[in-house]
Amino acid sequence: MSRRTHNLIPGLGLGVIGLYFVIPLVATGAFSLWEGGDKYGLAAYAALIHQPKLWQSLGLSVRLAIQTILVGLVVLVPAVFWLNLRVQRLRPLFDFLSVLPFVVPPIALVAGMTTLYTGPDWFVGTANYLVVPYVILALPYTYRALDVGMRALDLKTLTEASQSLGAGWMTLIFRVVVPNLTTALIGAALLTIAIVMGEFTFANILLFNTFAVYIDYVGQTSATQAAALTLLSFLITWLAMLGVLFTGRGGRGQVQIGGAR
Amino acid sequence: MSYLQLDAVAKHYGSRTVLRDVSIDLKAGEFVSLLGPSGCGKTTLLRIVAGFDQPDSGRVVLEGRDISGLAPAKRQMGMVFQAYSLFPNMTAQENVQFGLRVRRQDATTQQKRARELLELVGLGEHAQKYPHQLSGGQQQRVALARALAISPALLLLDEPLSALDAKVRVQLRDEIRRIQQETGVTTLFVTHDQEEALSISDRVVVMHDGVLAQVGEPAAIYGEPANIFVARFVGAVAELQGVVADGSAGMVTVLGRQVAANRARGMAAGTRVYFLLRPETVRLGPPDAAGMLHGTVIARTFYGALTSLKVEIVGGSDCVTAAMASGDAVNIAIGSTVSINWDPDSPRLLVA
Repeated sequence: MSRRTHNLIPGLGLGVIGLYFVIPLVATGAFSLWEGGDKYGLAAYAALIHQPKLWQSLGLSVRLAIQTILVGLVVLVPAVFWLNLRVQRLRPLFDFLSVLPFVVPPIALVAGMTTLYTGPDWFVGTANYLVVPYVILALPYTYRALDVGMRALDLKTLTEASQSLGAGWMTLIFRVVVPNLTTALIGAALLTIAIVMGEFTFANILLFNTFAVYIDYVGQTSATQAAALTLLSFLITWLAMLGVLFTGRGGRGQVQIGGAR
Repeated sequence: MSYLQLDAVAKHYGSRTVLRDVSIDLKAGEFVSLLGPSGCGKTTLLRIVAGFDQPDSGRVVLEGRDISGLAPAKRQMGMVFQAYSLFPNMTAQENVQFGLRVRRQDATTQQKRARELLELVGLGEHAQKYPHQLSGGQQQRVALARALAISPALLLLDEPLSALDAKVRVQLRDEIRRIQQETGVTTLFVTHDQEEALSISDRVVVMHDGVLAQVGEPAAIYGEPANIFVARFVGAVAELQGVVADGSAGMVTVLGRQVAANRARGMAAGTRVYFLLRPETVRLGPPDAAGMLHGTVIARTFYGALTSLKVEIVGGSDCVTAAMASGDAVNIAIGSTVSINWDPDSPRLLVA
């Protein structure tokens, strides 16, 4: 086999895989522009833009994503900090808990959750209730992102250094730990956005009209508008992923532990 | 009255005893090193002083006040760690200002003090650099400036030089001593490196298995080891078995020969002793009847100005090492027979 042929095979493989992903997207894009017969245009997009329910559902999903990020980080930043600083022996337990959302089917989760979580109307009677399952769904990603970020820091030494200088726990967390976890925090936040924007099962069963539920609804009434919304949904997810990729590159904030330079 | 008093401090981890009733007094402005091998308890003792670990019993008393139960943040102690401990998100100057910021000092005072200290450690021009832009030695200097910024009651140094390469280590070691003398801050320095401890300390505390093996000035620790552990751990030493032959004449029997050792004077005849010879006190010469011992040169190690020659003593498998000027050592071939002599004041004797 010639060297040129040898180099061609990986390129061909990548090309085939690329086509596997790109063709459905191009087809969806083309279909979203189809206006019947051989007519193409932006009618589906124009119709969508003028539907208040789209903006309501999109707004709700964005709000839920922000709430999920806040609740997730408030719960997990101290927990993962303590895990890395003081209770490393509990790491297997944390690892196990963090992958539970992958193992338990959403339908089982929603059934258990409605039995377990009760409370005032502003909580159980509104879409705020979705924050509970969303935090659980985002747990594997948020936990991993924070854990990786904290492992890269020598938390024990940084903690002791700041304490010896007179800092309390709050100063330590907000002035030392969190600023050094910017990449991890942004990564966790963007992954959460991607999950919440695409989540369908919980919202549909609990009868809340989120963005994913709205896409499903539109799909039943107007196929081209559903295709347009699907592309929009992909766009949001991709932007979030691009954000993760860019924030994960370079930057300062990695502590060096030992070793002369 | 002592400035810092460690009073019968004990610490256990499970069934393992790390410190057994350790008591040390530090005078104000003193530089004291805790020296010992890994696992001897020196770092645990330092951490107890810093407040990061709690003693099971005993007290830490600073300027007459028992601070044993005080949180680390309230102890006003500056600490430099073995691992690089600068806050990665802050510049060198911001790191130095951190303790002052926590104490809510005004911004101008913070900046002025930080600049002064960075100048003191020779990093005035690097104030705006982040830790990842500084070398290991520079990072430790900033850490030292940061620890000094809060005008600590006590400066604690936990093997701050061990991650640095040899040349930087010596430079920074000397600078630490200079800065300590300039500032007059009472300092407790943990190291496993005897050269470091002997070269910069007012007093050295040698630790072994959680107890104090010896406390004293560097010259006394090296020259008059109190026990065989200190003799073996601090500096190189040839260790021979001996029996006091004549206490009034200062004679000891070593490997069947009676040899002179003035420290045997006053000891009872028949006392079994460790007969200790430092390499720099051993003189090698041509074999003659007047030699105290005789031996064969079996190895040579060149150190630059000095060369060490290892000599196996005739009549046994024991060896002594002689450190001599490299120019003189060239004339002694490996395999040659030599006489081994010393000044009668040189050998240290420890009752076995």
